[in-house]
Amino acid sequence: MWSELRALREDVDYGTPPRDGEPVTLMVDGEPVTVAAGSSVMFAAAAAGRSVPKLCATDMLEAFGSCRVCLVEIEGRKGFPAACTTPVEAGMAVCTVSPRLSELRAGVMELYLSDFPSEDIAGGWSELHDVIAATGVASSPYGPGENHLADPIDQSNPYFLFDPAKCIVCSRCVRACEEVQGTFALTIAGRGFDSKVVASQGESFLDSECVSCGACVQACPTQSLVEKSLFEGGYRRADSPQA
Amino acid sequence: MSVTVCVPRDSAALSLGADEVATAIALEAAKRGVAIRLVRTSSRGMFWLEPLVEVQSAAGRVGYGPVDASEVPALFAAGFLQGGAHTSALGPVEAIPWLARQERLTFARAGITDPLSIADYEAHGGLRGLKRALSMAPSDVVEEVFASGLRGRGGAAFPTGIKWRTVAAARAPRKYVAVNADEGDSGTYSDRMIMEGDPFVLLEGMAIAGHATGASHGYIYVRSEYPFAVAALNAALAVLREAGWYGPNIQGSGFSFDAEVRVGAGAYICGEETSMLESIEGRRGVIRYKPPLPAIKGLFGMPTVVNNVVSLASVPVILDKGAQAYADFGLGRSRGTLPIQLAGNVRRAGLVEKAFGVTLRELIEDFGGGTRSGRPVRAVPVGGPLGAYFDASLLDLPLDYEALAEHKGMVGHGGIVVFDDTVDMAEQARYAMEFCAIESCGKCTPCRVGSIRGRELIERIVRGENPQANHAQLLKLCDVMENTSLCALGGMAPYPVISALRYFPGDFGLEQSKEPSCVV
Amino acid sequence: MKRDSVVSRRSPGGGLIHPPHDVEQVARILERWVSTPGSLLPILHDIQAAMGHVPPGAVGQIARALNQSRAEVHGVISFYHDFRRSPAGLHVLKVCQAESCQAVGSRALTAGIERLLGCKLGETTADGAVTLEAVYCLGNCACSPALMLDGRLHGLVTEAKAERLIATARKGA
Repeated sequence: MWSELRALREDVDYGTPPRDGEPVTLMVDGEPVTVAAGSSVMFAAAAAGRSVPKLCATDMLEAFGSCRVCLVEIEGRKGFPAACTTPVEAGMAVCTVSPRLSELRAGVMELYLSDFPSEDIAGGWSELHDVIAATGVASSPYGPGENHLADPIDQSNPYFLFDPAKCIVCSRCVRACEEVQGTFALTIAGRGFDSKVVASQGESFLDSECVSCGACVQACPTQSLVEKSLFEGGYRRADSPQA
Repeated sequence: MSVTVCVPRDSAALSLGADEVATAIALEAAKRGVAIRLVRTSSRGMFWLEPLVEVQSAAGRVGYGPVDASEVPALFAAGFLQGGAHTSALGPVEAIPWLARQERLTFARAGITDPLSIADYEAHGGLRGLKRALSMAPSDVVEEVFASGLRGRGGAAFPTGIKWRTVAAARAPRKYVAVNADEGDSGTYSDRMIMEGDPFVLLEGMAIAGHATGASHGYIYVRSEYPFAVAALNAALAVLREAGWYGPNIQGSGFSFDAEVRVGAGAYICGEETSMLESIEGRRGVIRYKPPLPAIKGLFGMPTVVNNVVSLASVPVILDKGAQAYADFGLGRSRGTLPIQLAGNVRRAGLVEKAFGVTLRELIEDFGGGTRSGRPVRAVPVGGPLGAYFDASLLDLPLDYEALAEHKGMVGHGGIVVFDDTVDMAEQARYAMEFCAIESCGKCTPCRVGSIRGRELIERIVRGENPQANHAQLLKLCDVMENTSLCALGGMAPYPVISALRYFPGDFGLEQSKEPSCVV
Repeated sequence: MKRDSVVSRRSPGGGLIHPPHDVEQVARILERWVSTPGSLLPILHDIQAAMGHVPPGAVGQIARALNQSRAEVHGVISFYHDFRRSPAGLHVLKVCQAESCQAVGSRALTAGIERLLGCKLGETTADGAVTLEAVYCLGNCACSPALMLDGRLHGLVTEAKAERLIATARKGA
């Protein structure tokens, strides 16, 4: 039993960190799965091979609960709880796929894509693109509106850049800088739609307390934070001539 | 033989010149060589009569209002200190029907006492609840509150006794009481009135909560827009400490309790309990997911009782008069009284404390006297910016949790804002989304982005751009926000919008016959 | 003139150079609060009460005293609308924009005040005398429309009353 529990696959992102606890058995989409007490429903679903789409969750960070994509249905409970922040319980019956869930997840994705460069939706290979594929949302039904598409790119760091046009404010970078690196160089400045990832007091990455460890780049699900080396000839936005 | 003259110090009264009136009275009395004892009391909550001056007579308090400072010499000349006739004379204040028809339990002392006089407080029933609680075992105090049926008066209406049971049962090195005094809903001011006018009752309720649940420290999180409440609470804390009712080993009981005021900084979302806890901890006021419940893991990771001001202010009377006496007011699952706040375009705005069951029509027409403008009532948001707008046809609904919920309305914090027929409900719907956008903490996408898109959709509909398609998209967006938001700000911002679309489609340029597919 | 305009300059290298601030005053405030749990908001309130704003240069000083990062402190300051990064005008006029005041004409009142002052909500008059701000409920909903001028609350406000209040404040400046 324990060896099964500890046999976590390298190629799977379970969404939330593994726990140490008594085994708990629950049902995910009709199949039983056993995980340690304290695990999230998201972890259990991934362990059962029924991964739930996610954006703000990654198993190297504690759950955050902000993207609202990982919603599931749980028998006997109202509403659509987020799988990442819901702890498993013995005998729980979780459903990860349903027409209603598809509808709601698509609705959330449409909101994300309403503030994302439309040229970068097709043919991409970030986690965001996995979720775009999983939810079948290829465009936003919302017309032109407020957006962050022209926010300035920070290219100060020699190894990576930050393009806020692709930022979905999932805070994985901020959390990685706190939890993985312990540097606390990043924060979200402002609030609401004005929320933006900034380094220190709004300085360039290079001038801030950032130590260039790359944890934020590794954590970013949209390639808003991305290694410069991936772009021969320099990074450029689809609609702008200069890098 | 000096006459006692009372002039309120409530900030609403101050906003209408009460300080100037008090100064004028003191000056005029000195000029005439008349001995008076000027007391700055709380307000009765009859704000259309403020500044309301009361004179103590053998037959009780006699009122004059509204009084302007310039009329003070004339009042003296008319012999108002002896209850003389004057155009502003109101007669015995407690006989005024508006007041006489209420059932004031929580607001029993409103307008009567000096908010910072502990002698006044005790003479009017104060501290009896705490004295009784200290003589009881903590678990018995919890059960008394449970038996009263008291439900949170902040808006969520969660049974207070159940919350206290959870905290009492939790094992931790420390526990806290955290008072949510971030009364940000427009149309609500009952918390403000308690904090400014009867701060001791809140502090007494907090101490009882501490004794019942094992918490020894309290925080009162007051919005920064309430500077007078902040000052009154700090002054009241000093008085209680001085008198030995707050601090270590209260009155030799072995129970220690103290509290501090924390001031908000311009964020409506900090009225949501987890955001408030984050703020008290010195962080951005971002929502925490639940579970864990604050009752188990709240402030600084410790079990925390989070209660609204009016909820805690109702606790002393429950302990004093007993759970059954409180529960006997009200009906069904809505027990006790609710302090209702009439606001907006209404002739007689103020505080009406009644047992559950009074109808919106009675409140707006009988108490409120209809609109201030004299025009017909058209829309009434009940429960704050996240509640539905009711149209005039729904005014016979009783103000109780279940009856309103059936129509997707909510009691909320008890505020009722009256709009007359000049209101543009499309503009109100747009404002609902705009307010959500301004106050969104930004953590979750449905609220952060959805509120912006919602506002933009409403603007397009009103401009006549593809109204049917945008209406359909707006309803879908509302469904997403309602069902996927992390908290009630994004989750309930659709309610005023859906109600406006449903009852007032013409204001958007939409046809009356279109029944919304998403019925709120 | 927009209030809260950024006042820190960027050095050629991209770092921020902040205007100097009263380090001693901030240090005294920090000393008062540093051993109280969760004291960042009280600290920021005291700094703003003493200095009219929270100087960006003080962020590092605050962070060091609380053993937090500059990013964390900056994130908190920027979340809450009360905290300014630069001083307001001589007088601060907050006009309520919420439902109860809307029900009795606050939109028209606000437009009138904007015309009177020659600036919009969120801005300061050209002569620096008055900063005009939106506020969402002052708790004076029984006496709408309401506004707060230099911390003093006013109810049943008409355009004429607002004009008188502003004129009196300006004279007293």
